[in-house]
Amino acid sequence: MSCPKTQHLLQEYFSDGLTPLAKKEIENHLNSCEQCNDEFKFFLLAHSNMKGWKDQSVPHWDRGLELFKREHRSEKESMGFWGRWQLVPTAISFVMLCVLLLNVSVISGERGFFVSFGANSSNLQLQYQLAEIQEQYLVEMDTLVNQVGEWLDSNNVQVLQVVMERTREATMENLDLIYAYFEQQRLRDLEDMRISYQELVDSDYETIRSLQQLARFVSYQDDAVR
Amino acid sequence: MGLINEDEALIAAALKGSAYAWEKLVKRYESRIFNYGVRITGNTSDAMDLTQEVFLGIYRNLHRFRGDAKFSSWIFRIAHNKAVDINRRKRLTTTLAHTNNDEPDFLETVAGDNRYEPDKKLDDQQANSRVISMLARLSLEQRLVIELKVYQSLTFEEIADMQGVSANTAKTRFYTALKKLKTVSEENNVLS
Ligand SMILES: [Zn+2]
Repeated sequence: MSCPKTQHLLQEYFSDGLTPLAKKEIENHLNSCEQCNDEFKFFLLAHSNMKGWKDQSVPHWDRGLELFKREHRSEKESMGFWGRWQLVPTAISFVMLCVLLLNVSVISGERGFFVSFGANSSNLQLQYQLAEIQEQYLVEMDTLVNQVGEWLDSNNVQVLQVVMERTREATMENLDLIYAYFEQQRLRDLEDMRISYQELVDSDYETIRSLQQLARFVSYQDDAVR
Repeated sequence: MGLINEDEALIAAALKGSAYAWEKLVKRYESRIFNYGVRITGNTSDAMDLTQEVFLGIYRNLHRFRGDAKFSSWIFRIAHNKAVDINRRKRLTTTLAHTNNDEPDFLETVAGDNRYEPDKKLDDQQANSRVISMLARLSLEQRLVIELKVYQSLTFEEIADMQGVSANTAKTRFYTALKKLKTVSEENNVLS
């Protein structure tokens, strides 16, 4: 024989909002009903046995990091961030190639720019133009570094905004942690960019130098022919 | 509330491509999922398979997570589905059905797993082995109800929602599971 109340009482007991009053009622019934008392003894023992579980430590695994990094790296590449910047030095090189090989002289006057080929440009002028381009290069690079800095900043601000929006009561500690991480990431990205850009610039200067030598040689030949 | 907020922050950062945030997110939940897996599958190697599948599922669906549910509930919904999948694949129920006669086979597996661990963990092992031997008597469905109620402290409504049944059915399953534990323990004297 079993008490018809057992199931209901048990479900109530493990229910979500068990009030002290309901608990008291259950206990009262248990005191007066041997059947339920018996069943409950077992269930509570079973429950406490189950609660005796000790968490086992997780075996070492890569936490999906390899997959995560692989997929996010390729995503960044496809964003074409570097692809865009890398065109800049090449474009500058192309301009220099024109300056050197075609001996283009650009003279700015009151009526605007005059572009002429060959004739009037001397080696000195060439040197001057190269110096100017070099100057531009440095300015260009500073601008780029600033732009990338801003880009990364705005990216971080964006992330933080998302975080702020989605976080109703963010603790300052969490945000600090995340911000510190992004700041660290940003500085590293900037440094990487600076190095890569410097390498590109250096390799372009190699090209310029050899072109410069070529131009000197060409003008020497010209002088010799005259 | 603090936990939920940090989860959301980490999710946002992970979606932006931060591997650091992703790893932190995994670290927060791997132990809960792994231990869930050990209790559900009865052995650490299946539990590890489950853990990896669950986090792959989380990774693939992270962009679908909406802040309207608790992240932990969302994770355990994925874990629930994976547990059902793995069970179907391994026909775990068939294996467990055979264990009703003798001491369950996989208990030896669990003991075997811990063979080389120091003695100080012996009590933990015994406590865990006892739990696993109890849960092994149940069907996966019942085991999951017990798991979600006792260890994950879900409401019957949440469990019902996860299993695609009514709250009353979830309550009945919980009761049936406990009744079954009582019956087998009377037969085998497991709890004495
Ligand atoms: Zn009663």
